[in-house]
Amino acid sequence: MDRRQFIGGASALAVGAMAPGAVSAQAAQEISFFYPVAVGGPITKLIDAYAADFQKDNPGVAVKPIYAGSYQETIVKALTAHKSGTPPVTSVLLSTDMFTLIDEDAIIPFDEFVKTDADKAWLKSFYPAFMENSQTGGKTWGIPFQRSTVVLYWNKEAFKEAGLDPEKPPQTWAEQLDFAQKLTKRDAAGNVTQWGIQIPSSGFPYWLFQGLTTQAGAILANAAGNEVKLDAPEVVEALQYWIDLAQKHKVHPPGVTEWGTTPKDFFERKIAMMWTTTGNLTNVRNNAKFPFGVAMLPAGKRRGSPTGGGNFYIFKKSKPAEQQAAFNFIKWITTPERAARWGIDTGYVAVRADAWDTPAMKDYVAGFPAAAVARDQLPHAVAEFSTHDNQRVTKALNDGLQAAITGAKPPAQAMKDAQTEAMRILKDYK
Amino acid sequence: MSRPDPYAPRGLALTLETAGAWLLAIVWIAPLAYAIWTAFHPQEFSTRFVWNAPLTLENFARVLEAAPFGRYMLNTFVYVTFVLACQLVLCTLAAYGFARYDFFGANVAFALVLAQLMIMPDVLIVENYRTMTKLDLVDTAPGIALPYVASAFGVFLLRQTFKSVPKELDDAARVEGASPLQTLWRVYIPLARPVYVAYALVSISYHWNNFLWPLIVTNSVEARPLTVGLQIFAGVDQGIDWSVICTATLISAAPLLVAFLMFQRQFVQSFMRAGIR
Repeated sequence: MDRRQFIGGASALAVGAMAPGAVSAQAAQEISFFYPVAVGGPITKLIDAYAADFQKDNPGVAVKPIYAGSYQETIVKALTAHKSGTPPVTSVLLSTDMFTLIDEDAIIPFDEFVKTDADKAWLKSFYPAFMENSQTGGKTWGIPFQRSTVVLYWNKEAFKEAGLDPEKPPQTWAEQLDFAQKLTKRDAAGNVTQWGIQIPSSGFPYWLFQGLTTQAGAILANAAGNEVKLDAPEVVEALQYWIDLAQKHKVHPPGVTEWGTTPKDFFERKIAMMWTTTGNLTNVRNNAKFPFGVAMLPAGKRRGSPTGGGNFYIFKKSKPAEQQAAFNFIKWITTPERAARWGIDTGYVAVRADAWDTPAMKDYVAGFPAAAVARDQLPHAVAEFSTHDNQRVTKALNDGLQAAITGAKPPAQAMKDAQTEAMRILKDYK
Repeated sequence: MSRPDPYAPRGLALTLETAGAWLLAIVWIAPLAYAIWTAFHPQEFSTRFVWNAPLTLENFARVLEAAPFGRYMLNTFVYVTFVLACQLVLCTLAAYGFARYDFFGANVAFALVLAQLMIMPDVLIVENYRTMTKLDLVDTAPGIALPYVASAFGVFLLRQTFKSVPKELDDAARVEGASPLQTLWRVYIPLARPVYVAYALVSISYHWNNFLWPLIVTNSVEARPLTVGLQIFAGVDQGIDWSVICTATLISAAPLLVAFLMFQRQFVQSFMRAGIR
């Protein structure tokens, strides 16, 4: 009887009800895998199935998924375990956490596992837009897995009522504003019953804002992650456009709009167009009681959207044999067929071009063309805002944005303050 | 017996006090009322309040299907009871020692206990995790509980209470031939009962709501408490479903709420006597 059983047993006696401690007796090599979702949802069933299938193909290696909550909670859990010397072997974490993980000396680059030509071809198969958040300093630190971009959803019925062509989403900033004006409905007292557009600004406004800045022609952070340009004229112009939608043209709800309830507002016809993640596709498909469309974000000077979502990482303090096994698992789960299946089942963008040529994916896109919009937008996509000390720098940007949106500061001033704060944080990484 | 209380408010003061009490009560109950409303109505009515909206239990079915709540409830119960039981035993013995025995280094040791009051448990997470790994207790209920079983707050509180017990009672017990432990059991603990009730309430509600440490130290459904299980519904990536969140929250909070309503009088009186606010 080992210690765990003993203590488990002792506490069972003490409190009268207690299941025996974790039962784990396996001969196979165990690969712990932190995955950012809470237990019990439909996604866990998919991940469990992947783990079981992998073990079937590779007897002797057992991938053990550990569901760790949100991205935020998962990285806290993973870094705590890393600092205690017992990290997971692999984990899916935000692609933007790459610099943080490197700075904590928590992960190893994939390059040392990529030996054969087949491996090299595999590494090259991912969309370059996704690899921008996975590589720095000439090394690959993350492998894209569940990635997304921002797209525009529109309510076709509302378009028809406003006299717009329900099949034509806005293509440019000017059109977007024009459509939004036509789509905004007011009752006799002048209260708005339907807003033209909503670009949510709670939680992580920088991500949607990055759509606007990219379209305005700005790139916010450099590839080394130690320099940002938040006060460039294009950035201020993008922020001004966003704020004008609400304050000048009054076609966007005023103040900070909630990210989480934006889809619900869309279902309830409180808003006619919304910007949100492709990850919401399945949700919208299941809950919208009207025909809807999905489109690329409208162009300013150019089209553009940030990518988002999670990458695979391999942790440094795990054993080399485990790391190798985890690498094999990651390679296995990102084959074209599995990448396609994962995209179909979840709504994330399949991460490699050849996944879209698989029969399963072709059938899916034929039946649901909206699914391909995110892929078509990828050539215009840029890396999600990510720097060293990412949490603090991002917070500086978010605070600046919300100050401008609520009217506490003029846009130029807000962005200048954010820039000063961000560069102060980043000066140690030069 | 009933004489009018000379300190009871009268006239305008009474009106103001009553209005204030009502206001606080409404502010306090509003989120709860909203949770109950949303939990028992279909999703369309989660932000629309129509008096004749149809009632439904569908949200409960969805929540129970989405997560093994029974298991989480059991885990929370085991964890909370285990912590409380250990705390009561350890704190009582330690407090008795500090209150009634003059041993070498007593003041230094007590100062160390007080210093621990100043440290947030959250800063010790990495160190605690390392210890649990060494003990092979990661992902078990004792693993969640162990860092909390020695409570500085409990020791401090009970020591102060034991100190206020008249020495004569202690002496009388000794004269009757009671051993130190018998004295503790027959004299001190009965006199400190309100403090125990108040402390138990604080401990239970803290550990019932504890989130970060259980999240970090547990990996599987078998060990996770309610709070960690609850956050499945709070993921914002797919949009927020208020009815399900409210239902899940209600299920998680219900046992504590019911217990509080049942024992309300005892709790309030204990707090008054124990002087914890």
